[in-house]
Amino acid sequence: VSEDFPALSPEVRALLDRERTSPPLSPAVRARALAAARAAMAAGGGAAAPRAPAAWTRWAVAAGLTGVAAVAAATVAYRHQHASAPALPAAPAGTALATEPGPPPAPAPLAVPSLPQAASPAAPLPRLADDGPRRGKVTREELRLLSQARAAVAREDFAGALSPLAEHAREFPNGRLTEEREALHVKALVGLGRGDEARRAATSFAARFPRSVLLPAVRGMSARSE
Amino acid sequence: LSHLRLLSSPTPQLTRDEECLDAFQKELDYVYRSLRRLGTPPSEVDDLAQEVFLALRHNWATYDRERPLRPYLFGICFRMSAASQRKRRREVSYAVMEVDEPGPGPDETLLAKQLRAHVLNALEQLPLKRRAVLVMHDIDDVAVRDIAAALSIPLFTVYSRLRKGRRELEAALRRIPAPASRTTPATSGGHA
Repeated sequence: VSEDFPALSPEVRALLDRERTSPPLSPAVRARALAAARAAMAAGGGAAAPRAPAAWTRWAVAAGLTGVAAVAAATVAYRHQHASAPALPAAPAGTALATEPGPPPAPAPLAVPSLPQAASPAAPLPRLADDGPRRGKVTREELRLLSQARAAVAREDFAGALSPLAEHAREFPNGRLTEEREALHVKALVGLGRGDEARRAATSFAARFPRSVLLPAVRGMSARSE
Repeated sequence: LSHLRLLSSPTPQLTRDEECLDAFQKELDYVYRSLRRLGTPPSEVDDLAQEVFLALRHNWATYDRERPLRPYLFGICFRMSAASQRKRRREVSYAVMEVDEPGPGPDETLLAKQLRAHVLNALEQLPLKRRAVLVMHDIDDVAVRDIAAALSIPLFTVYSRLRKGRRELEAALRRIPAPASRTTPATSGGHA
């Protein structure tokens, strides 16, 4: 199925990666939302009782607005909780990238500021999710390492890709981007002409992500190394 | 002992409610983000998030805990957004109007905000059904079969919506002028 997939261009991929790490809600918004939810719960009787959502909402909002004390308390609590919350990655410096021609039908190149993820000129593998160890949040560090590896593979610096991949494997053995890491690892090994290792890595990938849509690409790469 | 029976009966109910609230609280950021990505204007996100909570609570007893929560929540967000969109049917692109995200954190630069608005703007151009699949798959990394389950659509439909949605997103991002493609202030420290 993956064959017909229009892969996202690196620029778009980078924008979407960035969108993943959107900033957390402000303490005030969190407090307001939770106070309204608590108020709805307290006022609402049994959860199993079927009610129209709209009616519940009106109740919740009204009750939430009256619960000023609850909001204030929750605000303080959340402000405290978020005092050390990780910040959004700083916008990278750089000039406009946009010189890479997009996919063939593209009428105009994308003009976006350069992003580390966008440095890859090669079409990325279609990113398809699978279950397995991909739980939890993608951290900034995970994204950074994978972006480095992706960029290195794209410029055919396969040896250079191994280091961020190894670091990712060490730091995030079951991270959200494990599947992509393993696929990139196969690609890097193939690029380095380490066919045996590539085949072993591909076999391990197939065992670990049997339903991955990256699997045909991974198999194709390791087959080419034979 | 009869009073014990009377006292004990509400306890599981309370626990279930608390459990539901706890889940909602943990995923509150995700719910807000998803609603925005699905085109809910900032001024309506609070209300819709409450509707999501109420729907979640209403269905919490039957929710299969073995399944990942996020796709399930996204399914609720999607249905709420679709209903809300049908109600208003305005002609204005909300993402263009304002991006009322939580106040910028210490590291959130203007550029980051603009890029976010740029993506939301482009997503806004996609029909809701395809946008939902694309957001789930390409931003949230949800497996295709989980998307199918969450949105109650066949696998094939997921694939075809994703395929079309990706093309549309690429086209939309080309059409809409990107922010700050001129000079970008250098941020020292970078991503290390």
